[in-house]
Order: sequence, then C-alpha cells, then structure tokens
Amino acid sequence: MTSLMPLTTVFPGLVWLMAALALVQGLRRAALWRVGAAAPVAWLDGLAKLPRRYLVDVHHVVARNAYASRMHAVVAGGLLAASILTALAILPPIAGFRPYWLVVALAFGVTAIGSLLVGARRYPEKQKRLSAGRFQILPFLLVAYAVGGTATALLLALGVGGVFAPLALALAAAGGLGLAFEVRHGPMRHAAAGALHLVAHPRPGRFEGRPDTALQPLDLDAPRLGSEMPADFTWNRLLSYDACVSCGRCEIACPAFAAGQPLNPKKLIQDLVAGLSPAEPAYAGNPYPGGRAGEGERGPLARLIGPDARIHPDTLWSCTTCRACVEECPMMIEHVDAVVSLRRHETLERGALPEKAVGPVTELRQAGEPGGRPLAARTDFAAGLDLPLMAGRERAAVLLWLGEGAYDLRYGRTLRALVRLLREAGVDFAVLGPEERDTGDLARRLGDEATFQALARENVATLRKYRFERIVTADPHALHALRNEYPAFGGRFAVIHHTAFLLELIRGGKLNPGRLPDLAVTYHDPCYLARYNGETEAPRAVLDAIGVARSEMARSGRRAMCCGGGGGAPVSDVPGERRIPDLRMAQAAETGAGIVAVACPSCTAMLEGVPDRRAEIRDVAELLLQAVEAGR
Amino acid sequence: MRIAVLLSAGRHPVSGTPVLPRLEAQAVRLAAGLGEAVGLHAGPDAAAVADALGQGLGRIEHLHLAEGADPVPALAARLGTLAPDLVLAGRRGQGGPESGMVPYALAEALNLPLIPDVVAGSAGEGTLRLDQSLGRGALRRLVVRGPVVVTVHPDAPAPLAYAYGRARRGTVEAVTPAPAAASVPEIAVEERPYRRRPKLVKGAPAGGSAAERLKAATGESGAVASGRVLVEPDPEDAAREILAYLRQIGVLAPPAAPGDR
Repeated sequence: MTSLMPLTTVFPGLVWLMAALALVQGLRRAALWRVGAAAPVAWLDGLAKLPRRYLVDVHHVVARNAYASRMHAVVAGGLLAASILTALAILPPIAGFRPYWLVVALAFGVTAIGSLLVGARRYPEKQKRLSAGRFQILPFLLVAYAVGGTATALLLALGVGGVFAPLALALAAAGGLGLAFEVRHGPMRHAAAGALHLVAHPRPGRFEGRPDTALQPLDLDAPRLGSEMPADFTWNRLLSYDACVSCGRCEIACPAFAAGQPLNPKKLIQDLVAGLSPAEPAYAGNPYPGGRAGEGERGPLARLIGPDARIHPDTLWSCTTCRACVEECPMMIEHVDAVVSLRRHETLERGALPEKAVGPVTELRQAGEPGGRPLAARTDFAAGLDLPLMAGRERAAVLLWLGEGAYDLRYGRTLRALVRLLREAGVDFAVLGPEERDTGDLARRLGDEATFQALARENVATLRKYRFERIVTADPHALHALRNEYPAFGGRFAVIHHTAFLLELIRGGKLNPGRLPDLAVTYHDPCYLARYNGETEAPRAVLDAIGVARSEMARSGRRAMCCGGGGGAPVSDVPGERRIPDLRMAQAAETGAGIVAVACPSCTAMLEGVPDRRAEIRDVAELLLQAVEAGR
Repeated sequence: MRIAVLLSAGRHPVSGTPVLPRLEAQAVRLAAGLGEAVGLHAGPDAAAVADALGQGLGRIEHLHLAEGADPVPALAARLGTLAPDLVLAGRRGQGGPESGMVPYALAEALNLPLIPDVVAGSAGEGTLRLDQSLGRGALRRLVVRGPVVVTVHPDAPAPLAYAYGRARRGTVEAVTPAPAAASVPEIAVEERPYRRRPKLVKGAPAGGSAAERLKAATGESGAVASGRVLVEPDPEDAAREILAYLRQIGVLAPPAAPGDR
C-alpha cells in the first residue's frame, strides 16, 4: 500500500465503519419504534435466551425448508465470522500474523458460497413467494462483500499488495457498506430487528415449549381500545413487524389467501411496516388477492383500517385466526394478535363490525348465545338420552361442556355419540344445561372484547359454584377459551378435549372398541386443537385404536389447513374466488380416504357444507361409538 | 335538524335480559343519519336504554319516574321544552310494560301529526322525506314539513353494531321531570300466556291449487283484485266509486232502494 495507512488497518477499519453505519441506520429505524406504547420486557432474560431462541426455535421453523436453512447457516454464519475476525484485526499483533488472514479469507469464501445460494433463489427467476424490490440487490451486495473480502484477506495472507489491493478493498467496501446501509429499510433489517425481536418478544412463553396462544385481555378502561394507528401498537410489536423478511411462507399457508379472499399475511405485516413511515420503500411481493394497492396516509398517527386507508376492512375480516401464518413465520411474528388488535378498535370504538356479524354478536351480548336461542334448548339434542344437570347434584367427576355445536342438528349426532360413550364407560358426568352460556369465543375473535369479558365472568362464576375434577368438551374453540383464556378472569380449570378423554377411557380399559379395518379415514386437525393447544396425537391414537386405515393429508398436524370456520369468518363472510372448506376437502380427496374424521363442531359444519364431496364427515366420537358397537 | 328518540326499557324476547328494543335501535340509526339526536327515557332506570349510546346516540336524557307511573306527561313536558323537529319512536314496545300508545298520546298532547311505520327518511330544505311501509314491501313516500312524531317499522335498516367505546363516551343525563298533573286511570288488561295459533286467512279456498291458495293468502284476489283504476275521474264519479267500494266490502250499509216498500 502506498497510502498513509497500511491495508491491515484499513480493512478492519472498513468493518468497523460498516458496524457504525449499520448502527446508525438501525437507530434511525429504532427511533420509530419509540412511538409505540410501552411494554414490559424482561431484557436480561431475553438476552440470555437469545442464542437458544435463535438456534432452536427459529431453526425449527426455518429448517422446514432445508435449502433456506443451509443457505442461512453458510451465509449468515460466514458473514458474522468473517466480519468479526476482520474487525479483531484492528489489533496490530493479530493484523501482522499472516496465517490469521488465511482463516479470514476462508470465512469470506464460505460467505461467498452462501451469497451464491442467496442469489440462486432469485436469479434467473425469483421464487414466487419471495418479494422483489430491494431484496433483489441483496445477492449482489453479498457477493461483492464476500469476494472483495476474500481477495483482500488473501492478499494480506500472501503479503502481496500492488494494484489489486485497492480494487479488492473497494469491492468489499461497496458490498459491505451497502449491506450496512440496508439495515434501515432493506433486507438486512430482518437480521437486526429479528435478533432484537427474539429478545423482546411479546409472547416469551412460546419459547418455553408450551403453546402461548391465549389472546391478551384488553383493559376496557384504557383511553383507547385496540389499535387504530401504528402508534397504538406496543413498541415491541412494531419491532416484530420490522423483523419481517418478506419470505412469503405465511402467504402459502394462509387459507384466506388460497381462497382468493383479500388477505395476504405478508402484505398485512408489510402494510403495518409501511404505515409506520412514509419513507418505507414500495412493497414488491404478491398483493392482496383482488390486487388492491396500498393507499391513504402513512405515518405513526395515520389510520390503518378503512376503505381509503392502507388496509381495507375486508382484509381484516377475512382472517380465520387459524394461526397458520404464525406457525410458519421464521421471524416469530404474531400476525393474529395484530389482526385482533385492529379488529378490537374497529368493533369497540367504531362499531364497524361486518354487517352480517352484527346480529350474532348482538345476540351474544343480549342472550348469551349467538343464535339468540334459549339457553335451555342447548340440551334438546339429547332428547331421550339421560343427561344429568349439574344443578341437581352439585358435583360430578366430569363436567361436559356442550358448546355452540349443541344447537346444530348435525353436530347433535356427534354429541349424542359422545354422551353414549361416556355412559358406556360409566363416567360420572353432568352438564350445565341452561346455565351454560357461550364462551364468547366468537365475540373475542371479532374484537368485541367487552362481550367476551362479560360472558367469561358469568361462566367462571357459574363454574365455580360446582365441584368437578375436569371439564370435557368436544369443541376446541370452547376448550381454548376455557383452558387458556379464562385463567385471566379467575377461572382455572382442568380442561380436556373429548378425543384425549376418550383415549384415556380406551387405555384405561373402560371402553373396548372393536376394529373397523374396512374404513379408510383421514383426520383433519382443528386449528384450535392442533396449533392453539399443540394436541395432534390423541385423535390419531383413538383412530388407530379402532383399527381404521388411516392416511394423512399433505398438510396435517400443526401445519394443517383451516376449514374456514374460525375467527368469525363464517359470519363475516367476506367474498373470495373459492371457499376455504372446498379447498380443504379437495386436499382430503387426494388421500383417497372415504371418511374425513373431524373433532370440532366448526370443522364439521364447514366440511359438511362442501357440495360434491365424496367423503363422509364423521367425528372421532362417532367412529369410536361405531367401533364400540361393533365390538359387542 | 334536532331529533328526539324515545327509548323504552325493553326485554330480550328469549333471554328476558333488559335491552334496548330492536325497533328503537333502528330508530337511533335513522336518527343518526338525519341529524343531531338525543335519547329520551322516562322510567325508574336508564340502564337498559344506555345501550343506545353504543349504537349511535351521544346523549340520553333520563326523566326519573316511579315504577308504573305514566311517562306521557313527563315526556310531553320535556319535548315541549326541547322542541325537536322530529320525534322518533318504535311502533311497539318489546317485553316491557307498554301499551303501544305512547307515541300517539304524545302526538296528541303536543298537537303534532304522527306518521306510523316509517322505514327510511332524508332531510330536505326544511322538509322531511319519509318512506312509510304499507306492508308486504309496499312503500309510500311522504314529504312533511314541521315537527312530526314518527314511529319506526321493523323493515327499517338493521340497528348499528354496539360499540363499547362509544357507549363509554356517551352520557346519560338525569333531568327532573315536570310534576305530573294527575295520574291517568289504569287501563284494565288481562294477562295470559301467549299461545301460537294458526293464522286464519279470510275467505281462503279449502281446496284449489297451491297457486290459488297463495293468491288468496296474499290478497291478490277478492276485493283488492277486483278494484278499478280511475285516472283523473270526475269528483262525483270518484265519490260514487268510493261509496260503492265501501258498501261492497261492508263498511257502509247498502243503500235503501228508492222504490222501497
């Protein structure tokens, strides 16, 4: 080098400059998060657990796509290693040690290979789910930095300089500074915001191996209810949306997107990101089905929802709250929380529920039941069956929670089967009868937190009057509310899904089912059982116990596709090009099974409503009853 | 336009919980589309009608009356003070102690015209255009001027969704009612449980085809079907026609024949 400073100082200096630029760009973005509301964050705990959350929880999701996982290991690992090693070389003893530069060159070389892997996803043709825009220049920046870095480190290792050194250094500088610059608006933001998001995650419970899926109760005395504008979100939620890397895994999983309803989870999160700052570059991924472009004002105090705002109300009401997007998100973003928070503002502050949802929600508020039917009629399905009431006996081993499905003629058959199985097994059970109100699940998913809280308090008061060991319910929505959401209102109960309870009875020898080897069955996982509660094995074990030929759909377990019946979507009824249950039944038909086993009243109703279906819809309890009767 | 909406303490038809009657919630929606509205409730407790605050009203005036007291004098006195351009009410109550007569009694006390069964309204230049339901989907458009009492028909647009935040911001204001002059004599009523009865269609053919029975049930035969349309008739002819029609359907006695014995 002929300049004043030797290359061994300039090169590490470049990395330090990059770090400084990244920090400045990051802080410029972080200043925007400060408009968000305060949130309690366990900083030290989060920092200590960051490596584990990244290497275990994030990796678990990323690794579902093996290519993406390997690509990140090489490019991110290489980038970090090469940059840190080079930065350390600012110390003269290290800088003067030539073999050290050979190691650095190796690290840069690995990065270069990773950069090519990044590029291969986007060139010659971009994968459909990925976003274009600034993401398209990422491979070039990476290649420039990695190749420039490799060359510079090699020159240092060999001790040669000359005309090549400034060229290699310039290449590395262009790529490296470009990458650092991208921390504010570009692709590299996902690395910085993503790491911080893992530390300050609003649901730290999900990294502890338990499903942390209960919606957080809303303080109904707060001056503003729900989120109207970006500033209404807590700061760590704003941070979490910035972590979005626009990979589009959520959009592949989203049932509303597949059905052509105007919802794309990626675009929704990107609209929240773009809504925060007018300076945000244009979105370059797949649009909402229907192709509505983002319009309206942008800024921390700009309204987010409206026919003339960034997010159309139809987008908001298309969500079935199935959590498929959350399950697939490698950045651990909580899309459903965002949707519900926005819905809460629409419903509680503006009364802007979808027209068709007003009736059911009003009846829920006034009659404790979305159909406005008498609570005493809930047990009508059991005409002729002996169904003991809790009120007459004060205590029972099991409280059977009937739920909304009891009013439905079709689902009444399932409940009758369940009651007969409980009788067969000699279970001591009772129902609340006219004292059972709706859990308020529908109101809560539609944002009417006030009605939900009123119903929750009334139900908790009723349940606390009686003595029972466990609540058994055939409705995963009721299960989720009772088990996960009622504790916030003083009701801690042991709640178990009927499939898990029936499995216990089989394993305990109380039920002795015969075998039904002639039936070909595929099991459809309810979202509120599989994703919200992580229970996928019990229903399958029951089906295996009765010896049916069981096959799996391509999407099953925690990654199953929604039936379209959750989150108030059936009452909101946002039009799409296709219907979600039709799509799901087509997937079921691919297995060739003649029976689709279900375990939820919503799934039963949605899937039975599919025209031209070949397969029969049977609840696990109905199949088990058939097997028990065959075994006699 | 200043609007007063009369609110009554109703009950949910199934659960029996105190609620704002649906018709009055529809009246609130109509009022919200027309101008600035205030709710008016006379009775012992305003808790049930406070729902209206979440469905489009900003303010409710509560005239505190003892249980069972006649609300008409208090409402008439308050409406006399407020002098609204429009008084909206439901066409009937829902589950509470109601006679269905309050709008009529008020209109009489205030000496205002009453227009029943309205499904929509829009404001003009000092006038009010109202769509009145005639049943079976038939509508009549009226243009009225000056203060009127209007009752709302169930075919009016569905009530607005209840917004908890709005209800929280609305106010219920206690207003001391004017002392009632005299208590009204109680109407003697008999109460007995409701029994569903088949609907009798007058003059329905016992047999005949389904189409004929439908025609009979929907009134597309008989007196209505046999009517005649006269375009710009001579007033004498018109009067004669009306008299003939009234006699035909039995409202008026048949004329004494001139050559009667």
